[in-house]
Amino acid sequence: MLNEPEIIPMDFLEKIASSFYNNLIAGDAYLVVMKGMLTTVMLSLLALLFGTILGAVFCGTRLSGRKFLEVPVRIITTMLLGSPVTLLLMLLYYVVFANSRTDALIIAILAFTLHTGAHVSEIMRSALGVLSRREWEASRMLGFSELAAFRHITLPQAWKIAKPVYQNTIVNLIQWTSVVGYVTITDLTRTLNNVGSRTGDPFFALFFGILIYMGLSWMVHGLFSIRGKRGVA
Amino acid sequence: MIRIDNLTKCFGPAKILNGIHASINKGECIAIIGPSGAGKSVFLRSMALLEKPDSGTILINGKDITAKDTDINKVREKMGLVAQGFNLFSHLNVMNNITLAPIQVRKQTKAQAEAHAMELLALVGLEEKAYAMPSELSGGQQQRIAIARCLAMDPDIILFDEPTSALDPVMTREVLSIIRKLSGRGITLVIVTHEMDFARETADRVFYLDEGTVYEEGKPADLFKNPVREKTRAFVKTLETLRFTITSKSYDLVAMNARIDWFCRLHGLDSRHNYRIQLAVEELIQEIFLHCFNAINPDLDLTVEHFSVNNEIVLIFKYRWELFNPFDQQAGHQDNLGMTLVTGMARSFDFEYSDGINKLIIKL
Repeated sequence: MLNEPEIIPMDFLEKIASSFYNNLIAGDAYLVVMKGMLTTVMLSLLALLFGTILGAVFCGTRLSGRKFLEVPVRIITTMLLGSPVTLLLMLLYYVVFANSRTDALIIAILAFTLHTGAHVSEIMRSALGVLSRREWEASRMLGFSELAAFRHITLPQAWKIAKPVYQNTIVNLIQWTSVVGYVTITDLTRTLNNVGSRTGDPFFALFFGILIYMGLSWMVHGLFSIRGKRGVA
Repeated sequence: MIRIDNLTKCFGPAKILNGIHASINKGECIAIIGPSGAGKSVFLRSMALLEKPDSGTILINGKDITAKDTDINKVREKMGLVAQGFNLFSHLNVMNNITLAPIQVRKQTKAQAEAHAMELLALVGLEEKAYAMPSELSGGQQQRIAIARCLAMDPDIILFDEPTSALDPVMTREVLSIIRKLSGRGITLVIVTHEMDFARETADRVFYLDEGTVYEEGKPADLFKNPVREKTRAFVKTLETLRFTITSKSYDLVAMNARIDWFCRLHGLDSRHNYRIQLAVEELIQEIFLHCFNAINPDLDLTVEHFSVNNEIVLIFKYRWELFNPFDQQAGHQDNLGMTLVTGMARSFDFEYSDGINKLIIKL
């Protein structure tokens, strides 16, 4: 044991370096990957935005106490919650919009909006369910209008409860968008898969993909914890 | 300033308010008392339109707030409610709880609202808790903050819905002392309460609610001393006697003494009487009865009555057992210190026995 043991053999490192170069640098592959990532992020953001609005609408109808609105919404959300988003996406792409020239990306946004909407609606409903009716009443007695009471009392409290679950929904949404390759959209997963097939070394490309998805998830958590620390409701 | 005419409210088949008439003057302190389920809370909440009355009118300064074109938010700005459960905003600290409505509803500046809030916190004695969260406060403190939150809107009327029912005696006193401070400041106070001594001492008028109406109303001295109508009499009667049942050797002695204490305060008995009653009851039960009932579970009923005419207090012990009079020479308890004390204090003793029930009457 006179010589220091070689912890990492040099040829292994070289192999990694060349793999890195082949997969991500050569032929400006990183630009393609970036573009794929952009698609994933944009798709997720739009689906989240519309999904949250749709969720609020779903939730509002379910709590409205009007049976003729409540029942159809309950059926729709139950179906959406109970089925894989991939099937919904394929159904929309191959059946519903099969004969129209609608852009695949728009169809994907629609599918994920529906999916997210159903989840967000449930999150909102459970958060509102545990809130104290009496604090609402107290605020109304101080002269708050219904809308103002909702804004200053209900919303901040509901947000606090819903936040961790909502955060997970976003992370799940980003990860679930990886199936849009099925309907010809070149998102991050599809791009990395293409790179892997080109170089014949899929391990590196796919592993790198996992790292990017992890990074995106951490970013979501990071954004939420910044807001939390500043105490913004 | 408040006039209520023929107010009715049903929950399903149950008619809770059955044509209430009442008028309350500006700056008055009104205590609403009555048995449980008489509709006290519903009546109070109707005044704030938290319960929508089925019919009837509520005039505040001549304006009918049940009318369709009333802006209830505007009315409520001048009418506060302090509820049994405090209901502080759990996501805000004390300061923000108090200043939220003044800033958002009355459009005060933050500095203005906070300065006012500090004055109010001083009034309720909680300046040091200005930045605590509601969950860090005791019930009594939370209720005092709730009162301060109400006052921050400079209300003309404050409704209290059993403000101390969720509190222990010490915290109850904290809160009642604050409400006492508020009376006579020009704010109209309407208080649903079970604290009879509070109603007696602080209220200008007392409403006794029963059968869904203001069954009887009057100045506290009149209503408590000389109730006119039958149900009021029965209600006041239940306040005059204290009953306590003991069915186990490990009965709650502390609770019993606390109730005797409460009873004495309710009847304006001084601490000497209070001490004597507690002593007599405790000595007899602990030293004599529980000793004698050694083998069996006690079945003992204690009644304390006060007759204000001659300031006489009557203790009645009823117990199911073989004939047993502890004051009888043959019982052999004369040497017991407790017995000596009770014998010395009592004005007279009476003893009866029938159908297996002993009845011992001691007048103090």
